[in-house]
Amino acid sequence: MPASSVEKPLNSPNKGLFNNTAGFSTLITVTVLLLAWLAGFASRLFAVIRFESIIHEFDPWFNYRSTAYMVQHGFYNFLNWFDERAWYPLGRIVGGTVYPGLMITSGTIHWILHTLNIPIHIRDICVFLAPVFSGLTAIATYLLTSELWSRGAGLFAACFIAIVPGYSSRSVAGSYDNEGIAIFALQFTYYLWLKSVKSGSVFWSVCTALSYFYMVSAWGGYVFIINLIPLHVFVLLIMGRFSQRLFVSYTVFYIIGLLLSMQIPFVGFQPIRTSEHMAASGVFALLMAIGALKYLHSLNPKGQWKQLLILGGLLAAAAVFIAVVLLTYMGVIAPWSGRFYSLWDTGYAKIHIPIIASVSEHQPTTWSSFFFDLHVLVCTFPVGLWYCIKNINDERVFVALYALSAVYFAGVMVRLMLTLTPVVCVLAGIAFSILLDLVLREDELPIPQTESEESKSLYDKAGKLKKRAHEPTLPTDNTGLGMNVRSGILIAFMILLMLFSVHCTWATSNAYSSPSIVLASYGNDGSRKILDDFREAYGWLSQNTAEDARVMSWWDYGYQIAGMGNRTTLVDNNTWNNSHIALVGKAMASNESAAYEIMTMLDVDYVLVIFGGAIGYSGDDINKFIWMVRIAEGEHPKDIHEADYFTERGEYRVDSEASKTMLNCLMYKLSYYRYDSGGSPPGYDRTRGALPGNRGFKLTYLEEAYTTEHWLVRIYRVKKPDEFNRPRIPLAKRIISTTNAVSKKTSKRRKGLLKNKPTLVKGKKVSRLE
Amino acid sequence: MAKIQYSFIFFLYIIIKCNGVNVDIISSDLKLKNVDRNIDISSQLVKITSKITLENTGRAPVKYFLYAAESVTKDNLAFVGFKDNNNKDLRLVETSVKGYDDVKFWRVELKEAVNAASTVVVMAEAVLTKALLPYPTAITQQEDQLVKFNGNLYFFSPYYVASQKTTVIVNTKSVESFTKVKPFSQQDGTISYGPYSNIGPFTEKELSIHYKNNSPFLTVTRIERLIEVSHWGNIAVEETIEIEHTGAKLKGPFSRYDYQQDHHSGPASVRSYKTLLPASAADVYYRDTNGNISTSNMKVKKDTVELDLRPRYPLFGGWRTHYTLGYNVPSYEYLYHSGNEYLLKMRVIDHIFDDMQVDELITKIILPEGSTNIKLNIPYPVSRLPDNLHYTYLDTKGRPVVSFTKRNVVENHIQDFQLRYTFPRLLMLQEPLLVVGFLYMLFLCVIIYVRLDFSIHKAEHPHKD
Repeated sequence: MPASSVEKPLNSPNKGLFNNTAGFSTLITVTVLLLAWLAGFASRLFAVIRFESIIHEFDPWFNYRSTAYMVQHGFYNFLNWFDERAWYPLGRIVGGTVYPGLMITSGTIHWILHTLNIPIHIRDICVFLAPVFSGLTAIATYLLTSELWSRGAGLFAACFIAIVPGYSSRSVAGSYDNEGIAIFALQFTYYLWLKSVKSGSVFWSVCTALSYFYMVSAWGGYVFIINLIPLHVFVLLIMGRFSQRLFVSYTVFYIIGLLLSMQIPFVGFQPIRTSEHMAASGVFALLMAIGALKYLHSLNPKGQWKQLLILGGLLAAAAVFIAVVLLTYMGVIAPWSGRFYSLWDTGYAKIHIPIIASVSEHQPTTWSSFFFDLHVLVCTFPVGLWYCIKNINDERVFVALYALSAVYFAGVMVRLMLTLTPVVCVLAGIAFSILLDLVLREDELPIPQTESEESKSLYDKAGKLKKRAHEPTLPTDNTGLGMNVRSGILIAFMILLMLFSVHCTWATSNAYSSPSIVLASYGNDGSRKILDDFREAYGWLSQNTAEDARVMSWWDYGYQIAGMGNRTTLVDNNTWNNSHIALVGKAMASNESAAYEIMTMLDVDYVLVIFGGAIGYSGDDINKFIWMVRIAEGEHPKDIHEADYFTERGEYRVDSEASKTMLNCLMYKLSYYRYDSGGSPPGYDRTRGALPGNRGFKLTYLEEAYTTEHWLVRIYRVKKPDEFNRPRIPLAKRIISTTNAVSKKTSKRRKGLLKNKPTLVKGKKVSRLE
Repeated sequence: MAKIQYSFIFFLYIIIKCNGVNVDIISSDLKLKNVDRNIDISSQLVKITSKITLENTGRAPVKYFLYAAESVTKDNLAFVGFKDNNNKDLRLVETSVKGYDDVKFWRVELKEAVNAASTVVVMAEAVLTKALLPYPTAITQQEDQLVKFNGNLYFFSPYYVASQKTTVIVNTKSVESFTKVKPFSQQDGTISYGPYSNIGPFTEKELSIHYKNNSPFLTVTRIERLIEVSHWGNIAVEETIEIEHTGAKLKGPFSRYDYQQDHHSGPASVRSYKTLLPASAADVYYRDTNGNISTSNMKVKKDTVELDLRPRYPLFGGWRTHYTLGYNVPSYEYLYHSGNEYLLKMRVIDHIFDDMQVDELITKIILPEGSTNIKLNIPYPVSRLPDNLHYTYLDTKGRPVVSFTKRNVVENHIQDFQLRYTFPRLLMLQEPLLVVGFLYMLFLCVIIYVRLDFSIHKAEHPHKD
């Protein structure tokens, strides 16, 4: 089935290029792409094979839950879905706060399969969606690269992106997240954009807009497209490369893309109301102005048009800029959002939005992670970039801009490594293609082509090298390479590529394939033990608490509690309401009685904390606790002070030297309550390597409801006021002591007395009873 | 249409059967000479086995006698069965007697008539569910579970009982209290009453025992058993099970520390239980909505596959769990055929755990597409649900699904049903042909697309920079 879909786009451009060997090269292309798809798919299955077909991590659980909801209730009900299970007591309008592309994609697949009577569970579709889409991404990358350079480079790029860790980190089986399909949409939109710039045809621009629409529906990263394409246009204008093709493709794309993107409820009017989108409209206006000037110029080709054109262009640009600034000041256009600022100033988030800074994937990227995620590609892509700039044309301007901006963003946030990866693959593909071209070029002998084809397909990534025979841009001064040098280089490349694929497999397998809701530990003999505490706890919640019970936990676990435990949460991974999160953070950071007030206020029934001390799990709540304190302090600076939780020397510790506030806060108590197993001294905390400083305490307002087998998840029930106000007295002691109760029933007063009994006097008004 | 008619007739049949158009009278000729009753209350069930010596004091031979259940127990009564001396099952028919509206009667048909003045010995077996009530109803984690059994001190019978004896097996020494009607005796694990002589018909006297019972009190609140028959050699069985601990509820906190430190902690809780599957069961899976439950072991034994199932968490009183258990068995063990006629012989319900009690059982049987003439035969009355269709891989018109339900099921109900149907064997070829045809069409389309030019105008390949 995939073969057929691959074939179509390939066939048509083929015919002209390789008249004689069209069938043969199509066959090779299709085979290589299929193998790339297969290799990409297979290398993403480690988690499924090692564990099971299950949704990973946190966000995917929400996506899965909403997909399941959509499949069950239909698309329109999904758009109208008000989720009262989240953000208690606020709730969440899911349909309007979600990018529905992912759910629609898997829902559509589910619908098609079920129409064909193929009863695949929606969970399996969700699990395998990202690996399947990685194959589509490979094809889109192939198309993009062949548009930029040559089909050989395209095959290289396709093979690279199929297995590169920077992309598979977000698309392994089970990681059911927006990025999984968005990278495909991104690459495909860029391909169509280049196609439309090249051809100037309305058809391709409309396709670009449609693909852009899909991207908007799938991921917030669409902002990258809607800024990069205008940037491309703008740079082309500056370079004096204005053309009718550019004019047609951009205007058509912008108008249709704008209208379509506004159809997504979550995006709504943002494209015309926020600063992030203003570049696109500004460039649109500018292009219009220049188009008009050009038109005037064509009416009268003589005269001082050149200067007028430049002047007019500058004026138009200035006018547009000033208009945007003015509108922003007037409040018509929203200024840049905080998340956007943090892209320019890496310290911004730390100061202003601790909740963003608290997420590890929002940290700046280290050099090693560039290498880890891209391996040899990170060294070779500058070569491709250099060649592109050297042989510049309209499309290559685009890829250069794409590369430069993506490199910048990837440097700012680990997470944006994802946008860098595709362009690195494209450029590295070009670089490899050029280099191999040089080496294999020799005497136009067709023999090495076929031969190397086969040897390479063994490694899945080869196969593409040969066919660039007529690349017009090749520098011809290198033809004098000797046979030995050639084969030496060739072997070196083969080794490099082999190392690359080994590294990709290793990285995907070891770093990116853990489902994180199931932990595995290995014994000395290599036997594997599965720690299934998360699902144990969520299963307990879903079966043994009241249907409408509210569970308070740190926001990381919100989606999982809703997805697996099916219970109401206060905060979750959609961190839209900072003050609500701060309130939860405050409850966790306060002492028990203060926390009880907050919990009563929020109607909390259960509190869930993650405690890794017994098994040495480092991602637990105590280690995250300092972020809770920071976020709480941001909203409640009077009650919470970060410094209180550190020792006098500024250390963060939990043992007896820890600060008093720390030892008495709710999070601490819930983590260590009756914790006496673990390491060699009972109660030893393996994660922090310390003996907790406050032990043997009792809880007044909460009681342990459930603790999982390895103590990883602890659930507490919040007591109702009557439960702790009246301590239970053992039956034996339930005697009403009567010793000092003297009977008043003496002979004098036989009757009961009314205190302050008003004295009645006949004929007088009774004085008011007090 | 025909199917609806069939099921309608079937319903009618069942309704007639259940409502007991049968009306009997109590024969005064019959007397119970001796009743030896054994009440086992050491598990969560009450299992009563009685050895009844029946005497015909009349003149005419008697072909049947009546068995009665007192009004209190009749709702809990899950199973009644009779055997004769040779351990052969006797036929039972529900019936009623005028004037005793709240008593439930069965007519037991003897293999051979009892002649005048002669006796016959029959064995009666009855299983009651939910007859043991936890008292107190809530206990803390460390406490033992105490339950109360309320029964009838005498054998409840429409006939005069000359002599009777009752032994109650409690299997524990800690008996808080029990009814003391002389003569009685208590030895370790058992309490014996009787012999009592000359007890009139329908006599009831309270027998109450309050004792420690830490055996697992697990109730399967609902089980849906799905049997999917494939003529390619496989029968897939999938059971979706909801279980609740129906013993004394857990009061107060659950402490993992106590539970871990002290192995005797939580005596009334259930950590794991054993499920026995057919010996040929393969590809067993044990999962719930959140995925695989990794805590289970499988042992293949000679005549059975033993699964040691551990729920995700220990079950305390009032806690629930649910899971799906599935496996495959080869069809040659259960599916017989001659020509186009097939006979499926499988268990209505299979073992879940020892001394199980099931509130609601739904069994669904999915037959291959194209099966007709379906006839279902079940050894005890069930209510049949309307037939429907199930669609799965490569189906065009759907597979017939036969389903039925029964409430209050115990181990004694593990019996075979028989399902006859007709299936033209040629239909087996339908699915492979479908695949072949589809691929053929697909390749044909690709060939046509590749060979022909559909473009409206010749693209002139513009600039190539």
